[in-house]
Amino acid sequence: MFTPDLDTPEAQQVFTRRALLLGVGQLGIFGALGARLYNLQITEGNRYALLADENRISVEVLAPQRGRILDRAGQVLAANTEGYRAVIVPAIARDLRGVLQRFARIEPLSFDDIERIVQRARRQSSNIAIVLAQDLSWERLAEINLNAPLLPGVRTEPAGRRQYFFGPAMGHVVGYIGAIERRAMNDNPVLRLPGMRVGRAGVERGLEDELRGKAGSVTSEVDARGRVVRIIDQVEPRPGRDMALTIDTTLQSQIMAKLGAFRRASTVVLGVQSGEVLAMASSPGFDPNAVASANDAAEWAKLQTAPDDPLNNRAVRGLYPPGSTFKMVTALAALEAGKIDVRERLPCDGLFEYYGQRYRCWRRAGHESCDLHKALRESCDCYFYELARRSGIEAIATTARKLGLGVLHNAGITEAKPGLIPDHDWKRGRFGRGWLGGETILAGIGQGYVLTTPLQLAVMTARLASGLDITPTLVQRPSPMTAPLQMALPALQAVRRAMTAVVNEDGGTGARAQGEEGGYLLAGKTGTSQVSTLSRDSVQVDIPWVRRDHALFVCYAPVAAPRYALATVVEHGGGGGAVAAPLSRAIMDLVMERDPSARPVEPVVQSGAVAPVAARRRGDG
Amino acid sequence: MSTVVRRPKPPLSLPAKFLQIDWLLPVLAVLIAAVGTAALFSTAGGRIEPWAMRHALRATGGLALMLAVGMVPPRAWMRLANPFYLCVLLLLVAVPLVGVQQLGARRWLGFGEVSLQPAELMKVALVAALARYYQWLPQLKVSHPLWVALPLAAIVTPAALVLKQPDLGTALLIVSTGLAVMFLAGVRPFYFAAGLVATVGFGNAVWPYLKDYQQRRLLTFLDPERDPLGAGYHIAQSKIALGSGGIHGRGFLGGTQSQLNFLPEKHTDFIFTMLAEEVGFIGGVTLMALYAALIAALFVIALRARTVFPRLLAGGIGAVFALHVSVNIGMVMGLVPVVGVPLPLVSYGGTSMLTLMFGLGLVLSAAAHRHDRTRRDEFGAFW
Repeated sequence: MFTPDLDTPEAQQVFTRRALLLGVGQLGIFGALGARLYNLQITEGNRYALLADENRISVEVLAPQRGRILDRAGQVLAANTEGYRAVIVPAIARDLRGVLQRFARIEPLSFDDIERIVQRARRQSSNIAIVLAQDLSWERLAEINLNAPLLPGVRTEPAGRRQYFFGPAMGHVVGYIGAIERRAMNDNPVLRLPGMRVGRAGVERGLEDELRGKAGSVTSEVDARGRVVRIIDQVEPRPGRDMALTIDTTLQSQIMAKLGAFRRASTVVLGVQSGEVLAMASSPGFDPNAVASANDAAEWAKLQTAPDDPLNNRAVRGLYPPGSTFKMVTALAALEAGKIDVRERLPCDGLFEYYGQRYRCWRRAGHESCDLHKALRESCDCYFYELARRSGIEAIATTARKLGLGVLHNAGITEAKPGLIPDHDWKRGRFGRGWLGGETILAGIGQGYVLTTPLQLAVMTARLASGLDITPTLVQRPSPMTAPLQMALPALQAVRRAMTAVVNEDGGTGARAQGEEGGYLLAGKTGTSQVSTLSRDSVQVDIPWVRRDHALFVCYAPVAAPRYALATVVEHGGGGGAVAAPLSRAIMDLVMERDPSARPVEPVVQSGAVAPVAARRRGDG
Repeated sequence: MSTVVRRPKPPLSLPAKFLQIDWLLPVLAVLIAAVGTAALFSTAGGRIEPWAMRHALRATGGLALMLAVGMVPPRAWMRLANPFYLCVLLLLVAVPLVGVQQLGARRWLGFGEVSLQPAELMKVALVAALARYYQWLPQLKVSHPLWVALPLAAIVTPAALVLKQPDLGTALLIVSTGLAVMFLAGVRPFYFAAGLVATVGFGNAVWPYLKDYQQRRLLTFLDPERDPLGAGYHIAQSKIALGSGGIHGRGFLGGTQSQLNFLPEKHTDFIFTMLAEEVGFIGGVTLMALYAALIAALFVIALRARTVFPRLLAGGIGAVFALHVSVNIGMVMGLVPVVGVPLPLVSYGGTSMLTLMFGLGLVLSAAAHRHDRTRRDEFGAFW
């Protein structure tokens, strides 16, 4: 566009002239800034120093009282106890080491403690208080205050401690508080208070916002040494709310005792209409008092490395293949999609073939032929293989999510896991490969990629029983309007009838959950989820514990007008029918005993569908 | 115009290039960033969280960026100058649409964890684009009205976008930086004088028509001490803190005014106050001397350059530093109206730090390749 011309000497001259002009101007400005700084800091420095000394308004943040946690009956589960602690402000102490040594004569401080405090004081602003001792006894408190003149910079302040009642039985539900994680820090000044504790697990963490309350502040004028001269303004902190849970403490304790017979087991009990969690038990449990007061790291490490991982809340974090308890999902998916009729019979000779691959029924001899009722009752695998093939994984996944599987339920505990209901998108995203037909077959009986938590299984059972789209909750709330489940009633009823038969009919795999004659009627489904391929044919007792199958059972009662649903998982417990079913019955007995509207036994309802059997067969799912 | 492709002299090997680098710039930049890290450490009450650690990491990353940019010949940067400017302009347009709101202003673009302040990027992008423009424009046409209007548009467009955010300080800084580059490029002084007269005349003409509260707001902006409980409060506090520092200061971590939270924005715009309270007049003057040395080094590189692009680049980046430092320090001492302008390499802020380090890298590139004989036409057409 333009003819190129070389950089002319004139142009260079213009630039040099102007650059020097700007340079000189800049020098002048810097000179003016320096002069101003000289004027402020040296000529008028004394005046400003005086102003600064008068100008000491300190704003201190006041921590709010943490709300209590109550159970269903108003019984206190977690509360604050009065306590005092001693802190030191290094700026006032001056001779920090000397003060600490004198302090150690009252309340013992090890040599290492003193070193640690001195190091810490060096690293941070000397105006920030450092905690010297927690949980002071009255004598110590009095002694420290009596010796205050000898201990400049030391002061005592109220510092409540959190106390948990019902220790291990409620540990997983209530959780515990602890020092705040660095990444959870934000602009909220209350979080920067020394010794501030926030919820780290369980409801303490899930309901942190409600429990914490709002910080207050004291605005005061302080003198040159930081001592308060005059209080200017005080805003009282707003204490956190007391939170009432839906948990029944007595029931929870009784269930924990029952679960104690196994190494690792968990149970969730739900009200089928309200979604209220009546019990959420995970065994082994832990005592939150031990965690909250775990001052030294060793005690904490001991809990973390304890056998069977007691800190893990299996009820919401345990991920298990649901096994045959998933068959209701497969059945409903096929019924909804019109891929099967309730009366249609499918053959079962113990083997199912799909693209040359063989899938076995748990019963090698097969079930001859099954309709839906018999297939669920006797947990025929072949029937559900065929249903899964006909429905496809997308339909199964949709139904599973509708029933609350593979969905994160915010019941008040945030560390819950979402489980996994696989579908095409998931497989492609996770492995970069497409879905295979054989994977659908396995998913149809709750194996393969499918993973669920006991809470999710309980939600599924409650939704099946009530026909309502309930959401689980640990927090008492005004009973919400729950929408009905978007499912055809005849299909639901067919499944409910079959679940009743699992427990109460001849040949049902859950016969051991039948209870005594004349008791209330219970409907359920067994599940035995494979942990290793080896377990299928072996006698469970002969193989190592960690490779034994998980035993599962889901159920609701009473059959006629369901009020409670529960899901039980016994890790490596063996068979669902043999182990989990009788355990679940025992737990449901406890629940029914405590039912406020406990009524006498109701008569058989479902006309003809239920015929109590005396004979108890070993069932499997 | 077509380009004659010529083989330049065999390029220098990387280690040889490394030795060519003018080490004064990186050393000064690192010293200033170190002062910033120490100040941020103190601002947080003697903790490396939440600012000091990140500041140090960004300075380290910025240094690596600066050296890497410095080893690429300026020819490449020249080709990228216009696309870079346009990209940043697009980002500025995107800010009001998808930006993150904070304290009543929308200045950031968020990308997950990272957030970006395009207005900061614009400061360097504008310098590079203008330098590239004057490299292309024949000297004879520099003061032609048409060829003056074009760079003016390139300056006013981003400034207007920034003003809308609203961020008056940064907008004024962008305009000043652009005008400084135009001045250095040799635009006739008549234009600058005319611009000044027009601004003053416009102001006087409009003044009587302004509403009462608008007049008050403008007066407070120009003289914050008129409003001692509002805008003037911070300046008064800042002066008290500064003044109480004295010659030697109150000692590192010992500034009562700063530590007791009298200062606003003490990790960004008011960081000089905090520093001067704790390290006193000696410390304050030392930091200013470091800045003066850096600016002088940039101007020396500009004076020694043989072509327009590196010359205006070094001069323009020098102007960016000079303007920031003068306005920021002037503001905290109550000499300049309160506008949000960071102290370069010392105030906390990732975009600002990386942008300035990148700008210094451009200058390093120009300085290190000063002997490459580059003709005006070597870059071909404007695009």
